[in-house]
Formats: sequence, C-alpha cells, structure tokens
Amino acid sequence: MSEPAPKAPVMADPLVEHPLIEGRYSNAELNASLMRPVLAGPARWWWVLVGICSALTVLLMVGMGVTFAKGVGTWGNNIPVAWAFGIINFVWWIGIGHAGTLISAILLLFAEKWRSSVNRMAEAMTLFAVACAGLFPLLHLGRPWKFYWLVPYPSVLRAWPQFRSPLTWDIVAILTYLTVSVLFWYVGLLPDLASARDTARETWKRRAWGVLSMGWRGSARHWLQWRAAYVVLAGVATPLVVSVHTIVSFDFAVAQLPGWHTTVFPPYFVAGAIFSGLAMVLTLLLPARRALGLHHVITNAHLDVLSRLMLVSGLFVAYGYVQEHFFGWYSGNEYEQHAMNILRVGPYAPLFWTVIFCNVVVPQLFWIGRLRIQPVVLWVAALLVNVGMWLERFLIVVAPLSEDFLPSSWKHYAPTWVDLSLLSGTMGLFGLGFLLFLKLVPPVPASEVKHLQHELESSEAFAREAAAQRRSGGGAP
Amino acid sequence: MKRWVLGEFGSPERLLEVARALRERGFVRLDAHTPFPVEGLAEVLELKSSRLPALGLLAGLGGAAGAYLVQWFTQAVDWPLNVGGRPLHSAPAFIPITFETGVLSAAGAVFLGLFVVCGLPRVTHPVFELESFRSASVDGFWISVAVEESTPPETVAEVLRTLGASQVSQVEGEE
Repeated sequence: MSEPAPKAPVMADPLVEHPLIEGRYSNAELNASLMRPVLAGPARWWWVLVGICSALTVLLMVGMGVTFAKGVGTWGNNIPVAWAFGIINFVWWIGIGHAGTLISAILLLFAEKWRSSVNRMAEAMTLFAVACAGLFPLLHLGRPWKFYWLVPYPSVLRAWPQFRSPLTWDIVAILTYLTVSVLFWYVGLLPDLASARDTARETWKRRAWGVLSMGWRGSARHWLQWRAAYVVLAGVATPLVVSVHTIVSFDFAVAQLPGWHTTVFPPYFVAGAIFSGLAMVLTLLLPARRALGLHHVITNAHLDVLSRLMLVSGLFVAYGYVQEHFFGWYSGNEYEQHAMNILRVGPYAPLFWTVIFCNVVVPQLFWIGRLRIQPVVLWVAALLVNVGMWLERFLIVVAPLSEDFLPSSWKHYAPTWVDLSLLSGTMGLFGLGFLLFLKLVPPVPASEVKHLQHELESSEAFAREAAAQRRSGGGAP
Repeated sequence: MKRWVLGEFGSPERLLEVARALRERGFVRLDAHTPFPVEGLAEVLELKSSRLPALGLLAGLGGAAGAYLVQWFTQAVDWPLNVGGRPLHSAPAFIPITFETGVLSAAGAVFLGLFVVCGLPRVTHPVFELESFRSASVDGFWISVAVEESTPPETVAEVLRTLGASQVSQVEGEE
C-alpha cells in the first residue's frame, strides 16, 4: 500500500465528543504501552502505598484478633442497636462491587465500546470489594468459626440451615457473586496473561504467566469458544448486580422495624450500590491512569461517560430518598414518621444533610460538560460520594434501630476503636489487593483495546470510502 | 507426531484473505492464531458455533432445580420447623437461593466447559517452541496448516510464502 491515505474529512460520530483511544498506534506499540505497568519494576509511589495499605491491613488483623478473642462485645453494638458497623460496612463494600460488574457485564451485552479500557480495573475493584464485604457477615456471626452452619451439609446434628432467613440468602448471594466475579474476570484475563507471557523478558515471569494463561494460543477455535463463554458469563453476571443487592436489601425490608420495612428498598439499594461503585471506580481509575500513563486508552471519553453514569445513578438515589420520606409520611403511621423525622431534624440530622449534600448536590455538577472531564473535580466528587454513601448506610442501619417503637428502650450508638480499625483495615486490604493487581496482571485489557482500535479504524476507513464515493457522485442506489 | 506449517501475516484483513485462499486451494486442516478475535474467521474456517450457551442454560436450570429441592426437602420434609405458623413449603422465601444457585451453576459449567472445549489447561504445545510465535498474542496474525506425514511441508510453506507471509516456520510434536 504505497499510495497515501486519502485526505477526505472523516465522518465523526456526532454523539461522541471525545475519542475512545487518543491517537493511533500499531498493535505492537499499543501492546507495549499496556504491558509496561506490569513489566516495569514497581515505582516508588507503589511501595509507599503498599506500605500504608499493609499497615492498615495489620490493623484489620488486630481488630479481627480482638473480635475472635473477646467476641463482638468489643464492638460498639448495643441493644437496641444490635447491628451496626458489621452490616454498614458489608452493605457499603458489596455495593461498591456492583459498578464493576455493571461496567464489565452489562456493557458487554450492550456492546458498549468504551468499556474495553476500564473493565479490568472495575472488575478487580469488584473482587476486592466483595472480599472485604464478605468479612463482615462472618465476623458479626459471633462464632465466625461456625460459619459453615449456614451451608446445607449432612451434619451429625441433623439440623439444617433456616432457608427462610435472609442470613442464608446472604451467604449464597455473596459466595455466588464472588465466584462468578472471579470466573468472569479470569476468563477475560486469559488472552492478556498470554500476551504478558509472550512479552516478558525474564524467564520466571514467562513461566509464571505461562502457567496462569494455561496455554492460551489465541487459536480461532479458542476465540470462538472464548467469546461465547464470555458473553454467557456476562449474561449470568448481569442479573447478579440486581439480585445480590436486592437480597442485601431484603435483610432489612423483611424486618418489621419502621424505616426498614419498605418496598422501595430493593431498587433503592441497587441504585445506591451502582452509584457508590462508580464513585469508587473513579477514585481508583483517576490516580491509576495518571501514575501508569494510561491517558491514551482511558481518555476524556471514559471520564465523561462515567461521570454521566454517576449523575444518573445519583438521581436514582435521590429519587429513593424522596420515596423513603414520602412513604414514611404517607403511611400515616407515627412510628414510620418518627423514623424519618429523626433523620431530618433529630439527632441524625447533621449526618443526613451531609448525605444529601454528598449524594444529591455534588453529582449535579456533572450537568456541566466541562466538569465531567476535569480529573480533579471528578476525583473530589467521587470521594465525597464514597463518604456520602457510607453515611447513608450508617443512617439506614443505625437510625431506625436506635429509636424504634418504645422510647424507654432507645439508645444511641458510637463505634469503638475495634469497629474503626475493621473499617479502615478493610480499606487497607482493598487497597493492597488493588495495588498488587496493578503490578501482577495487565490493568487494561490489551487484547480488547487492540480489537477496539481495529474496529475504530475499520469504521473510519468505511466512512472515508463512503465520503469518497459521495464526492465522486457514486454511492449505493 | 503431528506437523504444522505456520505463516505470519501483518493484519487481520490479510489473514482472512489468506484463509480464504487456502480453503480455495483445498487446505482443510487450518487454524489461526491472533492477538484478538478476527471477525469472519470462524465462517471462513467453517468452525461449528459454540455449544457453551446451551451448556450454561442446562447447568443453570439444573442448579436452580437442585437448590429448590434442597430447600424444600430440608424445610418441609426432613426438619419441619414451625416459625410463627408460616408454611413449611414457603416458595417465595426459597426464590433468592434458587436463583443464585442457578447462576452459580451456569457460570461454573461454562467456565469449566470453556477449558474442556479449548483443550486447556496445557502449559506446553509444539507452537510454543517457536520464538517468533510470541507475536501471536501481540501483533502477529498467524495461520497454521496441519500437514500429513506423507505431504512434504515445503510445498505448504511455499504456498504461504506466495500468499505473502512475512515468515514461515514449521513445528512438530504431540498435540
């Protein structure tokens, strides 16, 4: 092909403001740039962050050790607030996981092109978030070492789990979610592990990735089966996004406590989960993109679409707040009304209005197109949303419990240092997992980005040809 | 002992043309190795469509049925427990676990099925002996022709060279 490329103006898609890949690269260049984060040695910032996260993980171990040794009495829980940090953190962490599955599975089914560069990080975030989430129900059991009593196995006690209890639903939902997320992530990772194996120079790295890639050769037969399997896994992971958090909300909604016993909970929880997860994706993605130099594949287009999604899911969450308070009032039931009043004007009002600021007011910034692509603004907003969503879960759990039906039994709640060390400790564990992920496997799916670039080039070539045909007066009849 | 002749081409479009040309010349035992899936290649190579979705459906339905059965058996038959006069066979309360187990079984079956139908995991394969084959997961589009013991591989290599392969190699070994 010696003739120069035609200079005809490329027909840009009017709906796409920013390119999905900045510039054009050869497949080898693109591959090298995406493998660099794992092939190069760890940078100083990486060691610093690993140090911080490890310290927090040690704190988690301490908190868990105290809980195992002395029991959940070391937590701030009391009667009536029998559920607190254990469940708040569980709901928060598992919610964060949902955006990863949303980005990777639902967008795959919809053939959304922009998912390609961000799905791997989002899925990794899901894995570590679900692992952190899973810790809390185990710890709050009181006797965590007997957690397997929740699984139906033929025991000599001849006692089966109570399947009408949301606790058994939880364990099945979490285990399913974790397993399917791992499988989906690993299947998507196979071609890239092979690519890492083939680009690594050191023999031990080649061997390690060689074992992990399980002999992937990119054969036409492999790809055919791989695509079928990937789509099916996405198809089954998609209802998980909705069902897992719906089941989490059932933990509350099947109780008769005012403020919990409401039909809006499943969709409201799912929307909140996706909202907080998108915020966490942005919290991790923006620094990672900068530190690893991934601006060419994680472009303004990705920031733009993620912030739009955050705005939309934020509006869903806001609608949930309105519904919750409306139903509390409209029920005419004074206990329900009280549960909502203590949020607006009672002892929890400062927290409640912080939630409204973080989750309802802050996302409204993203009506403004310029702000959607400002990394600093996005990052700060995402952090605020993370805080807001945690506080929202705190209010959902603690506020109705502390002031329920009988004023003589009311009691407020304060976390102990063990509670706080568990919360910050899981953040450390989560961060540690994510940092290791960034160094051990390609953080951006190289095969998918190369495929995407090829698709983009084909459609550009097609547009050029069509334009040339129009100019020469030809064209389809 | 099996023998393959491999040729590398620069782009997916070229690979498709070559695959088509080889089919026209009567080569049937073809495969390709590419860094990303190439549209239309499966049709040219006349690969059968995947049966993994059907496997997933069957496993999912089976898992769901099994989960429901376990719940019904344990709650209503083997260990009836009267909680506030609620029905022993309480179908709505069994739905979450039934659904989740169905999803888990489908995903597990498809995952394992993928490895079985692809012949994975295997850490060694004759093609990995080729140093240049490393490009197959980076930017090389390889086509592989399996040849009989009786046919001289040089003729196939010559055909690949005339079709514009940037490099041609042959490997042999156990598949």
